[in-house]
This record gives sequence, structure tokens and C-alpha cells, in this order.
Amino acid sequence: MSKFRKKDGKSAPAINTSSLPDIVFMLLFFFMVATTTKEIDPLVKITPAQGVGVTDLTPFKQRSTVDFVYLGTPIKGDASKFDKGVAVQYDGLLHPDGINYIGKWKLAKFNDKPAEMTDPKENVITCFKADEKVPMGIIFTAREILRDNNFNSIAYSAAEMGNKSNYSIRVQ
Amino acid sequence: MAQREAPEINAGSMADIAFLLLIFFLVTTTMDKDTAYLRKIPKKVESKIQPPPVEEKNIYKIVINSKQVIQARDSIIEPEDISTLNSRIKHFYTVNRDRKTDRALDYPYYAFGTKELYSNNLITQQNRLDALENRKVIDDKTSKMIDQTLVAIEKWNEKLEMMNLYTEFSGKKEMPEIAFEAHIRLESFVDTDYSAYVAVQSEVQRAVTELRDEEAMALFGITWTAMNRYIQQNKLEDTPELRLYQEHVELIETLYPLRLIEVKPKR
Repeated sequence: MSKFRKKDGKSAPAINTSSLPDIVFMLLFFFMVATTTKEIDPLVKITPAQGVGVTDLTPFKQRSTVDFVYLGTPIKGDASKFDKGVAVQYDGLLHPDGINYIGKWKLAKFNDKPAEMTDPKENVITCFKADEKVPMGIIFTAREILRDNNFNSIAYSAAEMGNKSNYSIRVQ
Repeated sequence: MAQREAPEINAGSMADIAFLLLIFFLVTTTMDKDTAYLRKIPKKVESKIQPPPVEEKNIYKIVINSKQVIQARDSIIEPEDISTLNSRIKHFYTVNRDRKTDRALDYPYYAFGTKELYSNNLITQQNRLDALENRKVIDDKTSKMIDQTLVAIEKWNEKLEMMNLYTEFSGKKEMPEIAFEAHIRLESFVDTDYSAYVAVQSEVQRAVTELRDEEAMALFGITWTAMNRYIQQNKLEDTPELRLYQEHVELIETLYPLRLIEVKPKR
């Protein structure tokens, strides 16, 4: 008599899946804690500039005291329609006035907020998320408009760079 | 009637529901954080009086041209050598820090504050305030002067507190203070790339952060970065630790101030 008897057509016992929901819930909670919600879809192409010692903006985002301005070449459409080929995205749209619209946009955003939520004007940060090839002239124009409207906090967006890699600067 | 046992609920679809939620969160969220350099734009001043010019030794001038070549004071730095800026800026800050005589002439001088000096200043201002308040007629000019004196008293009080904190932790009787005019002046061209500008901002930030971290480590045994992170994360709570850290951070930032002036490009 053989020790290993052939199973007589019986199907394999079902795997116990009662702990599967637990595992999936664990994953779910991990992702809920570790990630942040996406902002609006970008309409411009941005390769971030790099730097060390950057400040994390998450606490400011949670208090919604930061507004993002995106600068770069448009993903769709003709770049030459825009001043210097740089399109400026405010929330969901590329404004034809480009950077000169920033003052009106900031004021509208500021006035839309409920009164008990508003920080003083000068503490609401304007964060420039610019492509690495964007010329600084545009940003200084924006700075001037912001200063005239008393929005005194700005931020230059940059990706945290590892210790070893070098700055990616275009050499001409 | 005999009590019937409640039928067990079928939990087989629980996993499906959880998966659905999981996939929803995977799609709508991102992992990467938004990070940036926070800067202030100076307030608009409407006065026609030209401020007196700042001495050359107190300015560290960095210019980035449209080809991303950097000039820091008299030296030309190619874009690939940009990381040398870090040590240059540190040198600018620290070269005169321990010197009372034989100072490097091209770099900002340090003032050495003592408890006696600050207390004396405080007493002088207090006497001035008393004299002003005892005047018979208090006109506009006098009340303006009273306001100014009050501001000065507050300033010296703050300095005295910082001096006490510094003495408590370092055991030194003198607090080195960099010249109040000393600053980094960052100039760019209209066509300068954003990446190059941010790289210089990064080097400035790195130099100052390293100096602050070293000083904080020596004084309090915890880095400035760590204290700052704690403050930022627990901003809304009022714990004794938070207040302590805020004081410490304030002292460190007075010892190593980051004064950066960004000049509007002319070309």
C-alpha cells in the first residue's frame, strides 16, 4: 500500500479569506495617512528646480494659507501665443493676461475666504511653481504686483535634492 | 416561541469594498510633498528720503547672469561649481565673529553686547520716557517721541532677555551680534533661469541653516531645524516645550539672521 494515496477527485480545501478585509483596510489606512490629495490637473509642463533645505508646505496647505501659481510651457496648444512662451496657470485656467492677472486673482481668492479663516494679507503665501527654464523677469514682475497689493509672503517651489546629486542648471 | 439565533452576516464582500476605497485613494492622492523656499517681499515704503548707503563690507553681492554664470563679490563661479557658495557665505558670516581687534576689513563687524550695556540703554530710555511724560504740554511731536521711546524700550528688553538666555546656556558674558546692516544681495538678469536662481537660494539657505544648526547644537543640544519642525507641527497647541523652543529659535535667528535682498533685474 502506498503511503501517498492519490486523492480521489476531491477539490482543494478553500483558503480562508476572512482576514483579507483586514489586510486591505490596513493598506487603505496607510495610503490615507501617507498621501495628500492631488491639486488641480496641471496645464503646463513643469520640471521642478532642485535645492536643499527646503521647507515643507504641508502645514500651510492644511491651513489653506498658500496659493499656487504654475509657470511653464503649455502642454496643449501653441506656446508662442504666450509672452516668452511661458503660460501662467491660476487654479484651473491659463489666463491670457499671463502674469499681470496675478493681482486680481490673489485679491479674488482672498475675498472669497470666510472671514474667520483669513490670515492677514501679508501672511498668505504665493508659491511659484515654475519650470526650471522660466526666466526670472516674469517672477519679478509678479513680485512687484504682489508687493503693490500687500501680499508680502512668497515661496519659490523646489524639489528636495539628495545629498549626492548636483543642481540641474542649464549651461550655455 | 423559542428565540431564534440571528443569522450571520455575510462578510465576503467586505474585501471588495475595502479594495474599492483603496483604489479610489490611490488614484486621487499623490505621495510627493510640496516644498519651497519661503521668502518675504519688503513692504512698500512711501518716503522720499534716501536711506544712507550701506558700507561695502556689509554686503555680500551675488549676481547671476543670463548664461547662469555667477559672480559672488569678486570671484566668478561657473554653474557646476555653485556648491562652493555655501562655504563662501559661511565665511562672510563668521570671519569676524570672534575678533575684537585685527578684524577682516572687507567683512561685517560684530558688536559684543553685554548685560550691563543693555541694562544701561534700558535705563536711559526709561528716563527719557519719564521726562517726556512729565512735560506740561503734550503735543503731537511729544506723543510721537513717546511712541518711539516705547518701541526702543521694548527692543532693549527683548535684547536683554536674549542676552540672559545666551549667558545661561553658553556661560559667556558677551553675545556676538553681526552688524545690523549685513546682508546678502541677490541680483539676477531678466533671462536668468529659475533653476539657477533657486540653486543660489538653496546655497544661501544651506549656509545659514548649517550655521544655525551648529550654534543650536552647541547651546541647546538640539538643531535649529528640529526645533523649527516641532514648532511648525505643533503650532496650534500651547505646550511649555513649544514656548521654550520658540524662545530658543528666536535667539538662534538673532545670532545668525538671514537677511536676503532680492533685486529686481534691470537687464
